[in-house]
Amino acid sequence: MSIKDIYAAVLEFDSDQVVKLVKDEISRGTEISVILNDGLIGAMDEVGRLFSAGDLFVPEMLLAAQAMKAGLEELKPHMKQGDSRTKGTVVIGTVKGDLHDIGKNLVAMMMEGAGFEVIDLGVDVETERFIQTAQEHNADMICMSALLTTTMPEMGVTVETLKEKGLNFKTMVGGAPVTKEFADQIGADGYSPDAPSAVEMARLLISA
Amino acid sequence: MHQFASYFSQKEIERVHEASLEVLENTGMYVRNERAREIFAKGGCQVDNQTTLVKFPRKVIEECRKSFVPKYKFTAQDPDFDITLPDDRPIIVTGSSAPNIIDPKTGEERRATSTDIANIAHLINELPGFDVFSISTLADDAPEGQFSLSRFYPSLKNCKKPVRSNTPNIRDLEMVLELGELIAGSKEAYMERPFINHHYCPVVSPLTFDVESTEAIIYLTEKGLPVYGTIVPNAGMTSPMTMMGTLVVGNAEFLALSTLIQLIRPGAPMIYAVLSTVADMRTGAYVPGAIETGILQMAHTEMARFYNIPSGGYIGLTNSHCNDAQSGYETGMNTMLALMGGADLFNMGGLLGSLMAFDFGKAYTDNEIAMMLKRACRGMEFSEENLCLDLIHEIGPGGSYMDKLHTVKHMRKTMYLSKLAYRLLRDQWIRDGATDTQTRALEKAIEILKQENPARFPEELDAKIRSHFPGLVPGDAIF
Repeated sequence: MSIKDIYAAVLEFDSDQVVKLVKDEISRGTEISVILNDGLIGAMDEVGRLFSAGDLFVPEMLLAAQAMKAGLEELKPHMKQGDSRTKGTVVIGTVKGDLHDIGKNLVAMMMEGAGFEVIDLGVDVETERFIQTAQEHNADMICMSALLTTTMPEMGVTVETLKEKGLNFKTMVGGAPVTKEFADQIGADGYSPDAPSAVEMARLLISA
Repeated sequence: MHQFASYFSQKEIERVHEASLEVLENTGMYVRNERAREIFAKGGCQVDNQTTLVKFPRKVIEECRKSFVPKYKFTAQDPDFDITLPDDRPIIVTGSSAPNIIDPKTGEERRATSTDIANIAHLINELPGFDVFSISTLADDAPEGQFSLSRFYPSLKNCKKPVRSNTPNIRDLEMVLELGELIAGSKEAYMERPFINHHYCPVVSPLTFDVESTEAIIYLTEKGLPVYGTIVPNAGMTSPMTMMGTLVVGNAEFLALSTLIQLIRPGAPMIYAVLSTVADMRTGAYVPGAIETGILQMAHTEMARFYNIPSGGYIGLTNSHCNDAQSGYETGMNTMLALMGGADLFNMGGLLGSLMAFDFGKAYTDNEIAMMLKRACRGMEFSEENLCLDLIHEIGPGGSYMDKLHTVKHMRKTMYLSKLAYRLLRDQWIRDGATDTQTRALEKAIEILKQENPARFPEELDAKIRSHFPGLVPGDAIF
């Protein structure tokens, strides 16, 4: 029953309650992966669904993610390999010359919430750094964000460089001026118009 | 207009003022600029140089309030275009510093250049609705080291109305002033009529003074040159998600800025320019076109009236990406709210996509809105003569006013005669090409752009400027 309560507490943005309930479940001997997947990640999936439907707004997504993270911190010391992080590893950042990171941060947060390992390189990330980091962490995917029309072409540079080097990290692009057509044109594997659909797209691409 | 629309009682206005003082006294502001901290400290504020936190005792602010002045003047190259707030209200200004322009020939959005600025300056000089040219875009073709020069030179070269904008650093600012002095003929002549009107956003909400823009404000205030600042809180992101909470934050930030200015030079003219907005929490989008912007502008204007200083600024911006119905109702409704509330200044012309791109059709349409605002402000013109009692008696019941000299005498000034709105019947409209507003507005703007610009610099002066600043962009209006 209590897993449902964790799920509910995340949806109520109640960090204290999430922490308390996660501790209870751990001491009760509930499997860590169940707490994580059915409780925390399940709740964030619902948050994503509600956000896409327009029922939840950005501040609610932020608060839910904070509550989820608080629970995750409690779980971490108890996690063994295989309990989590099975969804995949993602390298994310805004492209070279672009300092606008609100959208990128939302995507990173939602992906973490959905159980991905997220390596956030922050802003103004050069192609080389994207690729190097992806190689170091054996990542599944590189996600690039841009707000400025002038920095968008950098996305194409990264995709092109990956092809030249014969590396097959998946790529996903997004940001206010980025469109599906643009993504297709530069040969990116995925495009998403908002944070929750970025999570969906990541699942699709990585499981493919 | 004798009375303005109002949301507040006198008591409520006083409470907002008190609340703002409380914020400044108890919470304080971060002041990242060191010189500003020195000025505040000398003026009696509590300054912590470690954290940069400054707390403002109420007596410091109240003392500075005593030197507020009720007028602000925009000086033009041509004295006929000088404008004073609030006497000449409503004063209409273009929106400024968009990176992009909608190319009038291709319809594509692209980076704006110094030639675009020259063309826009030419257009604004010709459109009677606009009183001040705030440099609409950036110049992507600016040579290294001439970022600001590439904006101010084409503007001043092609527009005799007051020119207004900002600079990113003191070096650029000094170059721009040098340009002003060259045009004026000497430093002294320029100081007498400083026709470059400076504007900055020195406060980063919530409650933080920055370094560079604050430096420019100090520099210009010390020199006695015209400058004012805009405060921009955004409810839900940088101020509370209530109208009142945001009003208090914006008002407190304005009081802190005016304290800085009055401590440097008591009696320095200022404009109460606070562009408070509410963020759209569904996406986090910045939405200056939302109706709440107009409501907040009216409230801020009430505060400005309480302080007896001119008010207004950025109001009437749109989020729309083309000059469509959204663009029209956002600019129209927000400026009308501000006008009814008593605002004096309206930075609204020509920009789309919340300050991202200039559009010539939008600028022409905003000229129309400007003329309508000016007409609305002129109002009913009460007089015994205007009651027309003799005429009403003479025509009597059932008569017509159509063929009377009285009608002929008044018809060109009673009504604002729109050159943009289409007012004939549908059949005629179809025969005339069934055009929409944007099509007609763009055509009208292009008509002006194709004409010779009468405001252009004389050759001799231009040669002098060009030899002083080698590598300068051409800065000519060419269409």
